Amino acid sequence: MVHTEVTRRSFIQASVLLGAATAVGASLSGCMKEEAAVATVDSSDGLVKIKTACHGCIQVCPAIAYLKDGVVVRLEGDLDAPVSRGSLCIKGLNQIHTMYSPRRVLHPLKRAGERGENKWEVISWDDAIEEAASHIVDAIEKYGPYSFFSSVGGGGAYSFIEAMTLPMAMGSPTVFEPGCAQCYLPRWSMSKLFYGGNDQSIADNAVQEIFRVGDDNKAEVVIVWGAQPSVSETAESGRGMAELRAAGVKTVVVDPNFSPDAAKADVWLPVRPGTDTGLILSWYRYIIENKLYNEQFTKYWTNMPFLIDPDTKLPVLASELFPAFKQTTPENTPAYICYDIKTNAVAPFEYSAPEDSAVDPEIFWTGDFNGKTYKTAGQIYKEQAEPWTLEYTAENCWLEADKIEAAIRLYTHADDDGTVAGIANGVASDMTESASQVPLGLMGLDSIMGYINTPGCTMTQYGPGNQPTKRPVTYHNGFGGMFSDMYGIGAVIGMSDAENEARINNAEAFPQQKLANQLLVDRLGMKDHKGLYAWCHSHIPTVREAIATGEPFKPRVWFDMSGNKLAMLGNAKSWYDVFPEVDYVIGQYPMLTSFHVEAADLVFPLREWLEEPMVNMCQLNTQWLQNETVHIGETVSHGIPCVQVTKKVAEKLGGTLPGLVPGLLGSATEAEVKASVAATLQAPSWEELIADTDKYVPLVTPEDVYFGYHQQETVVDDGLPAGFATESRKIEVYCQILLKLARTGYPFCYPTPQEACEDYSPICEYIEPAESPVGDTEYPFVLTSGRVPYFHHGTMRHAPFSRELFPTAEIRINPASAQELGVSHMDWVKVTSRRGEVHARAYLTEGVNPHTVWMERFWNPECFDASQTNPTAGWRECNVNVLTKNSAPFNEVYGSYTNRGFTVKIEKSTKPANIWVEPEEFAPFLPTEEMKAEAQTKDVF
Amino acid sequence: MKNCLVTDLDRCSGCDSCVAACKFENDIDLGMYYRRVPAVGPTGTFPNIEMYWLPFQCQQCANPGCIEVCPTGASYRDEATGVVLIDEEKCIGCETCLTGCPYQVRTLNPTTNIVEKCTLCFQRSGDENWVPACVRTCCTGAILFGDLDDPESTVSKAVAAAGAANCHQIADANGVLPSSIYILSEKTAKWQDDPEGLVRYGVTRQTTQV
Repeated sequence: MVHTEVTRRSFIQASVLLGAATAVGASLSGCMKEEAAVATVDSSDGLVKIKTACHGCIQVCPAIAYLKDGVVVRLEGDLDAPVSRGSLCIKGLNQIHTMYSPRRVLHPLKRAGERGENKWEVISWDDAIEEAASHIVDAIEKYGPYSFFSSVGGGGAYSFIEAMTLPMAMGSPTVFEPGCAQCYLPRWSMSKLFYGGNDQSIADNAVQEIFRVGDDNKAEVVIVWGAQPSVSETAESGRGMAELRAAGVKTVVVDPNFSPDAAKADVWLPVRPGTDTGLILSWYRYIIENKLYNEQFTKYWTNMPFLIDPDTKLPVLASELFPAFKQTTPENTPAYICYDIKTNAVAPFEYSAPEDSAVDPEIFWTGDFNGKTYKTAGQIYKEQAEPWTLEYTAENCWLEADKIEAAIRLYTHADDDGTVAGIANGVASDMTESASQVPLGLMGLDSIMGYINTPGCTMTQYGPGNQPTKRPVTYHNGFGGMFSDMYGIGAVIGMSDAENEARINNAEAFPQQKLANQLLVDRLGMKDHKGLYAWCHSHIPTVREAIATGEPFKPRVWFDMSGNKLAMLGNAKSWYDVFPEVDYVIGQYPMLTSFHVEAADLVFPLREWLEEPMVNMCQLNTQWLQNETVHIGETVSHGIPCVQVTKKVAEKLGGTLPGLVPGLLGSATEAEVKASVAATLQAPSWEELIADTDKYVPLVTPEDVYFGYHQQETVVDDGLPAGFATESRKIEVYCQILLKLARTGYPFCYPTPQEACEDYSPICEYIEPAESPVGDTEYPFVLTSGRVPYFHHGTMRHAPFSRELFPTAEIRINPASAQELGVSHMDWVKVTSRRGEVHARAYLTEGVNPHTVWMERFWNPECFDASQTNPTAGWRECNVNVLTKNSAPFNEVYGSYTNRGFTVKIEKSTKPANIWVEPEEFAPFLPTEEMKAEAQTKDVF
Repeated sequence: MKNCLVTDLDRCSGCDSCVAACKFENDIDLGMYYRRVPAVGPTGTFPNIEMYWLPFQCQQCANPGCIEVCPTGASYRDEATGVVLIDEEKCIGCETCLTGCPYQVRTLNPTTNIVEKCTLCFQRSGDENWVPACVRTCCTGAILFGDLDDPESTVSKAVAAAGAANCHQIADANGVLPSSIYILSEKTAKWQDDPEGLVRYGVTRQTTQV
């Protein structure tokens, strides 16, 4: 250790005015230096070898970093990782460049010119914290706590919990993330409402069962729906899919674009963007018509046989139709109504193990009882699917009937003796108005097929606690119910009404229950899109509207925690237009982006993943360490700035914050971060963890604890099978809880309800995209988007090796359409939607429908390179989010707007100014000797 | 010794991670590549199409045209390993070898005036377990490395398991006898001896379809 007299945060007192962003990477003398971490030296090549994990995307693959003289010179995947098996993709490899990029921000920056001018002053951490805190305090004192808001998302930072809880501490309801309703929340949340279990996302660590290694892997058919694992999580689920295919697993890929997974699929269904719900309904129709569903499972483990009240749309309780009904099951066990085949009569349907059932319920039934016509949930679904013949679906969704049929027959094992399959989905549906409908439909398919909690099926529960001993319940407010238990909000599904009331009416335990509930009710956009409560996030277009109009209140001080919001938010220009309405904008990131150039007043420097200790995603039953491999400048771990600012705000407000206690969840210092990491990996201390990494990493959960099957059949403490953590204990394929959610906010807004909105559909129904290419003569192409393997979200546009291989935005156009447009391969074209226009190079390919075009999002950091004579912020030129639609109609449950499946027109154009395309042009993004020579520095906090 | 790469195109997803790993390992300048991963296709007409990727680098020919035409002896075969290499001391940057190689996998480094190409990461050949960077990082487990003369090697076993009908080599108009083998079954796509895609989506193009 090099000791110094300087205090941690006060050593830079002199302000240095810097003209251009490219200079901000340069360090100043005086950083507290530290000798390189102790690690083993690999004798063969003299490199220091450190075990870590990549954070180039959300999947966090285990990796090995090799250092020479304190500089990381080589990255490799860790061969012991069970799913990635030593793979490391280009996104991860890029870190060698981005870690030492001249674009790095190594010190706090304060805006020194007008917004947009990209002029910055380096200030001390003390001054930066003071700046941020004083602006927040001023706004709270002048306008109240609702003037504060936070955001996160965009890749490369990880402040999910901090962004969600910081406004809670400040007493504000406002936080958003461009992902959330447009990425993963709908699929995650819907799975909790649907059956209280794991969702079908092939990213996000959700689908694990199919990637189980060794002879234990029982997967037979995998349906990849709106996902491209080989591109999005290349080294992890991409590798996993490659292994499955090599082992003979059959795949169906539903994707408008001929992705690598589509190219390898047994059946590719290039669905018209945004019409997936129609395709899903055709699967229901075919499966029901041909009796391919799992009848026993559907009868006894789903709510499909329940009679639905035509007035309330809710399943009828046994006690409603049979007042004299005396249940034979323990108190609080639900009992519904079915049509019993044994007695040919409407009868109570008590909860039991299938073999103990008194009734044989009919799944599809319509009939009268006491003068009222009832249908079973199954019948309602059947009628919903009725129009969706293979032929009609093919015509509507731009598919071929025989290929749809081939896909369904593979999925259902109609022509072989296989027994399992599973659907793995992706982000595509989240970015459409169908965001809740698609997962609702896809989980329903796996449910009626009985592909649940079974080896080889995606909807199988895993992890510690997967094997129930007590009656299972689902907490909805915060992960694992953390906010429910902290503040006394939210009903717990699986508990009876009486149990929930007893739990929540405990003023002593929940002194802030009223405030917490009020923050739920007041959150922007909640009345209509109550599903957003699941992640405590606001509705983004409503936040923008509030900033613009001040109604119902005006968010004024913004703490953003990652990424380029102008590249991530739908209809980027509509956001740029309201920046002048925001009084003060705080950002944090390892580099400056368009958003920081155009909007930020203050920027905190963050660590790159090679610098930040963390434990994040697991690979199956193993957990890995993202290590502090190196550390340069005054960068800090992602959660620290907001905790430090909050402490300062509290100090200025006399010690008390206006919001919830504990409110903000985060670590104030690197020591706390490291202690938390060590504890997670069950090491006694950080020091012992890094001194003997091999002893603690990976942390392995025994297989027999981690993997489990048929959990619903396990008999629990009340003598009945565990079933599922829903109101009915069945898989609610007819998702009855969605109706209660729309009407009162239940189970989130509880005990105080939220105002009602239109009912949400409890089953999958078809939604024609609002901007339909059918009949749109002005904008004749439907645009959808997706990823390329070179970038994750908005990251790595400053990574030279990614950029030379994929220099700028491309739009995939069918050659026949291109010919009509007079466009040749690699010509620049202008793409125009009803929101704006951007440019891209035309990539002609038979891999898209002649009426469909496909684009990856893009932004161009080179536009504000010091070498540019007329710099721009780089978000208008090639950014697909200039085109996307953030106006109604939104997804009813989650408020998702339309990032995919809207219409555009295309014309030939020329390359916009400032855009680089030639490999040599990216030289200014290469690491500099100066950056590599940066001293190893001590923790700032 | 017939050390070379065997690539399973049924696995390769064209992610270009091997290209980046190669460039980091060999410190290759922007605009220069020892290997590329062009897409062959899609061929056919939407939606009845197929495609594969063809990771492409020095084919470690048995009868290398580059060595034959090199005027200084800089291009040579390492006797111990069988790897075709370039002696930096002897290379004069005349680019004659580029004419001897039918596969355009050699490039003159304008900074050093020395011709460069894939060496199978020869700098690692002293390692206990010599694995080229592309093989080590591959995200689909597609790239294998080893000695095709050794029937017990990983590559020989993979070729045997795939069967002759699924094993292919780059067209050899010049009689250079390329060693590298590509595994591709018709389930993925039909192998093309002289793919149009290599011209249109070819190695000189900056982007590859993904």
